[in-house]
Amino acid sequence: MAVTEADIRNALKAVQDPDLHRDIVSLGFVQDVTIQGGRVAFKIELTTPACPVRDQMRDQAAQVVRAIPGITQVDIQMTSQVRPSILQADRPLTPTVKNIVAIASGKGGVGKSTVSANVALALAKTGARVGLLDADVYGPSIPTILGITGSAQISANQQIVPIERHGLRVMSMGFFMKPDEAVVWRGPMLHKTVQQFLGGVQWGELDYLLADLPPGTGDVQLSLCQAIPLTGAVIVSTPQDVALNVAQKAITMFKKLNAPILGIVENMSAYVCPHCGTREEIFGSGGARTIAQRLNLPFLGEIPLATPIRETSDAGQPIVISQPDSPSARAFTAVAEQLAAQISIRAMTGELGTEIKVTF
Amino acid sequence: MPDEMPTPVEIGRANLFDIKVKWQDGHEGIYPARYLRFQCPCAGCVDEVTGQRRLTASMVPQDIKPLGIQLVGRYAITIEWSDGHRTGIYPFDLLRKVCPCCCTSRTKQ
Repeated sequence: MAVTEADIRNALKAVQDPDLHRDIVSLGFVQDVTIQGGRVAFKIELTTPACPVRDQMRDQAAQVVRAIPGITQVDIQMTSQVRPSILQADRPLTPTVKNIVAIASGKGGVGKSTVSANVALALAKTGARVGLLDADVYGPSIPTILGITGSAQISANQQIVPIERHGLRVMSMGFFMKPDEAVVWRGPMLHKTVQQFLGGVQWGELDYLLADLPPGTGDVQLSLCQAIPLTGAVIVSTPQDVALNVAQKAITMFKKLNAPILGIVENMSAYVCPHCGTREEIFGSGGARTIAQRLNLPFLGEIPLATPIRETSDAGQPIVISQPDSPSARAFTAVAEQLAAQISIRAMTGELGTEIKVTF
Repeated sequence: MPDEMPTPVEIGRANLFDIKVKWQDGHEGIYPARYLRFQCPCAGCVDEVTGQRRLTASMVPQDIKPLGIQLVGRYAITIEWSDGHRTGIYPFDLLRKVCPCCCTSRTKQ
């Protein structure tokens, strides 16, 4: 008896998406099934190109289909289509951006910008369309980290054109300032700038827009959460108690503004001596993971305290680009994959999709 | 989660003056315009330091009505009133807390 498409789909129901806890058939991931004698071909369309279990799912799918009697060859094409976590109607300022994620911290100096830049680059390397908004108006450091020296252009329709770098679309206050200038502003100006950076920038179609926030719980954070329904926020912290205590304040702020916490990243986690290989936990280790567990929040990963991360950031060649096979770059990639998975979970479970209809 | 913010599913008019809010848990509340105007939590209506209401009855017209409502991010709405006031941001949890319905305060939380 010839194998039918129903047989294939039935078999594939055994393959679960480990994040969404449903099988890939009922999730609609299996597409374009073709059968020619004993040869089967189909597409698995994931919800992010940065899926951390992409290979695992492909192998499982191949295995279960190959187990069907009569099947001699299985060709699987892995594709992806990032789902929006925010309804388009709810984001009039940024209609072409599917997911907006704030990268935040309680205190300064924990490496938010370095994490933002490298995670954005890691996402972009998977093929996702990624924007990076440097919302640290007072101390924009994204231009330095990405090695951007130019200034932004204004398009014919009076929109700011983001600068493209390493496949990222980037916008920063730094593009409008001379190196020795300082922004000395009160709240209302910050509010206006945040709105301008969202709605006044030609972002184009983006799967992910990462917003690198200034430290703390102030004007920019509030304005961002008021201007758009955020997909959620990522909290960056170093492992020592003083930073973690302040990180919890940032978490409290986002809860108050009903912005979901997508996870916690531990930066400067441990120092591995390049000479002798000894692991030194300068700021302690594992503190952020403990906090994440206690608050029932996803833990996205640990980034080591490593000189090459600092060197490559200062040189404008982030480590994910310049030393992609280094342990540090792999750590950033792992965080990017976990973040993408969390965003997919939000988008697919409709947790954020609850539409608030305003009929006025 | 107990600390989850209440979420509305529909916000609209009950009539020319009153605002109707339908909540995700099925609850429905009707907010008289003048009552809701008095709940405005903005710094102009409530003293930021003492928390005392600055707004007095004579300051708000009897026939005040909402002219527009907009969502603020994922956590609040802002209302444009016919007296020109538009700076109030009403977070969903405040909105739920001041629901003038007959339910007990326990179910409002």
